[in-house]
Amino acid sequence: MHRRNFLLGASGLVAASSLDPAFGFEREGNRRILVFSGNQPVPILDPHQRYDWSTRMMQRCLYDALVRYEGSPAKVIPWLAERWETSEDGRTWTFHLVGNAKFHNGDPLDAEAVRYSFERGLKLNKGISWMLSKHLRPGSVAAVDARTVRFTLEQPYPDFLSFLPLWFVVNPRQVVANAEGEDEGQKWLTNAEAGSGPFRIKRWDGQTVMSLEAVPDYWKGWPMAEADRPAGVIYRVMRESAPRKAALQRGEVDVAAGLTPDDLEQLEKMPGMVVTNDPGAAPFSIMLNTQKGPTADVNFRKALAHAFDYEALITIHKGDAQLMDGPFPPVTAGRIACDMPRQNLELARQYLAKTPTPEGGIELEFLHIAGHEVQRQIGLVLLAALRPLNIKVNLVAQPWPTLIGRGASPETAAAMTAVYVTPVTTSPDTVASQYASSAAGQFWGIHHLRDAEIDRMVAEAAVELDQAKRMATYAAIQRRIVDLQPVIFGMTANQRWALRPYVKGFAHQPLNLTGEVDLFPLFAARA
Amino acid sequence: MLRLLARRIAYVALMLGGLVLITFVISNVTPADPAALAAGPDATPDMVATLRQEYGLDRPLPEQFVRYVGDLLHFRLGRSIQSGNEVTDDLARYLPATLELVLLAMGFACVVGIPLGVLSAVRRHSWFDHAIRVLAVSGVALPAFWIALLLQLVLAVWMGWLPTGGQLSIAADPPPVVTGMVLLDALLAGEWATVSDAAAHAVMPAFVLSLPCLASVLRVNRAEMIEVLGSDHVTAARAHGVAPGRVVGLLALKNAMLPTMAMIGLRFGWMLGSTVLVETVFDWPGLGLYAVSSAIASDFKPVMGVTLCIGLLFMLANLLVDLAYGWLDPRTRGA
Repeated sequence: MHRRNFLLGASGLVAASSLDPAFGFEREGNRRILVFSGNQPVPILDPHQRYDWSTRMMQRCLYDALVRYEGSPAKVIPWLAERWETSEDGRTWTFHLVGNAKFHNGDPLDAEAVRYSFERGLKLNKGISWMLSKHLRPGSVAAVDARTVRFTLEQPYPDFLSFLPLWFVVNPRQVVANAEGEDEGQKWLTNAEAGSGPFRIKRWDGQTVMSLEAVPDYWKGWPMAEADRPAGVIYRVMRESAPRKAALQRGEVDVAAGLTPDDLEQLEKMPGMVVTNDPGAAPFSIMLNTQKGPTADVNFRKALAHAFDYEALITIHKGDAQLMDGPFPPVTAGRIACDMPRQNLELARQYLAKTPTPEGGIELEFLHIAGHEVQRQIGLVLLAALRPLNIKVNLVAQPWPTLIGRGASPETAAAMTAVYVTPVTTSPDTVASQYASSAAGQFWGIHHLRDAEIDRMVAEAAVELDQAKRMATYAAIQRRIVDLQPVIFGMTANQRWALRPYVKGFAHQPLNLTGEVDLFPLFAARA
Repeated sequence: MLRLLARRIAYVALMLGGLVLITFVISNVTPADPAALAAGPDATPDMVATLRQEYGLDRPLPEQFVRYVGDLLHFRLGRSIQSGNEVTDDLARYLPATLELVLLAMGFACVVGIPLGVLSAVRRHSWFDHAIRVLAVSGVALPAFWIALLLQLVLAVWMGWLPTGGQLSIAADPPPVVTGMVLLDALLAGEWATVSDAAAHAVMPAFVLSLPCLASVLRVNRAEMIEVLGSDHVTAARAHGVAPGRVVGLLALKNAMLPTMAMIGLRFGWMLGSTVLVETVFDWPGLGLYAVSSAIASDFKPVMGVTLCIGLLFMLANLLVDLAYGWLDPRTRGA
């Protein structure tokens, strides 16, 4: 047994016997403050500049959007917009705002604020702008009246609505008042907020501790009884998993994200701990370089896909994962189950026989993120799986920036690269586009697939207004992707958090990114 | 003495120039694209280009270097591409926390290490000496992250005596900023609850950080004391009936302190570098944590800023040691 494992085991036993049954959360007066801990800081809070998981989690606390995702499967529900309609040609979207929304400083949240926010997001050309920059041009958002906003798209785009939960509304008056030169308030909004959300900033250090206080008269109202409403939430950044687990055991933290499977397994067995376990939406894939080396041959790619041991993926995740049954993640609209390759060495040999290297005798590089234990284990599975084909695997661990740097060109991309691609919306266009030629160079396009048929279908489906026809095209795209095998489709690991049992209101939402939790409905039940 | 000072300052300037060149080259030879990372995973090439232009990363490398050096001469270290903050502002924010930790660790290492080294030398080959030597070897040999996790497990989780990490309790309000060092600022403000809270948070990280330094100080001090205690002038002093306490405390220790001081100077710089690990495990909001976060994101300007800052402090610490050497031992002034 490794020394680390021994220590972790010992820590589990010790902690199990010493857990204080008393509630460990922070308090302010007679209200509780919930403490969430994860490993990722929030260097930029501005909702139009950045949106990784920890940043979006904080943004959702401080800002509101026209609509939001809720439930599993994820559905778009009204939020700042109480209703909306689309024109027949699919180019004009009109949103009608609620009448009582207001910013934290008391300013009313009106159509002009919505218009300003979208225009600002597009103008900055950062963070979220990729979602709509092809479809909205500057000046195409209009405040019809105080409660009506109209968007005029360049072309029909049925997925438009699916992106709006990520477009938060800022208070134009505050942003303009705090802008420096032409910076559109970017510097100020790095550590400050101009929102209307359920919380406002009390203390902010994006690298360590972010303390938010609840807005008692939040315009949307609170989902829990008034007596249960928390005084605030704190996001505490703890980079390492072991101290995060220790803080949870000690009661310094109420909810922890990003714990290792070993830690979660131990915590699950401890009294006074709850470990959630819900299907995730971020597929793990092994991207194959379709432009260079042996993997440029589709038969070779199929040989690899049929040699791979898929069940080992489930074992590595201790049963808490689902194999991909198609190229689209489970949350994506239009997903179909396809006839996916599964381990079949005879078939793998047949495909290999059709390649210039029928006897194998070659070595392939498997590139994964340094320090990512699950990916390393998957590499070992791959190494064992390809041995019967006389194919050697060279496991190479590199930091994420280097990995995507290498993947930007087919000349430098490894034969096989381990990648998680997290869907941020239910949009099928976004996922299908990951296999279009335009994806080459992006981290989800490390396969560098170039296929004119996929390109054509992706372009057609994106603007198709006939829903049945559109979904049929996406089904065809998925089948075509499986045929071309640019990727060994792996699994979606379950999303897991560890929390104290008194934490209520926790709702799984598969579109939450990595460690993200909707903190708005959380509260600590009274003893 | 002035010539010695001028010569040493010239060395520092030369080394700093070399450090700037090396850090710049290393930061730019990695295949990572900081603009692509900062733009986010879904960013379009157009968005990445916007960031690249905003941060001057679209310019040729020699031009970027000249600009960087020009900025350095105006005490500017560029902007972090991850946060948009000026690196000098970030350093000013995080350096006090690191200095606080290093000074606490260094103080502890000196206060404990020097007397233990003296006692160990005086009681050479006793059980006490053997125990101290084992402690010294362990202090150098045991990995800091392992000791840190072990202490967290025992003192925080098991015993519940100390917090797992951070600089203050998360719901606590920090004291008014005077030096930026929370413990010192709390003392200056007379906020005794905060002093106690900050001290409790500093115990484990300062202890872990101090161990290798403590071990080195102890070993060097012990070895020097043994040598000095066996020298002719100490034997002569003893023969003249000088009290044993005076022999050890004044004659021997003063001479043994020269190499110990050199070790402390070297260890100061080493400690600044070691904060990367300790601050990460204990989430201490200092330069080390800042460097790690920036390095993970390939945010090179902060990494270069931290490297230069630590390098400069290291050189200044050694400059002070050299000057102290020259002051204590005039023979070294010409060296």
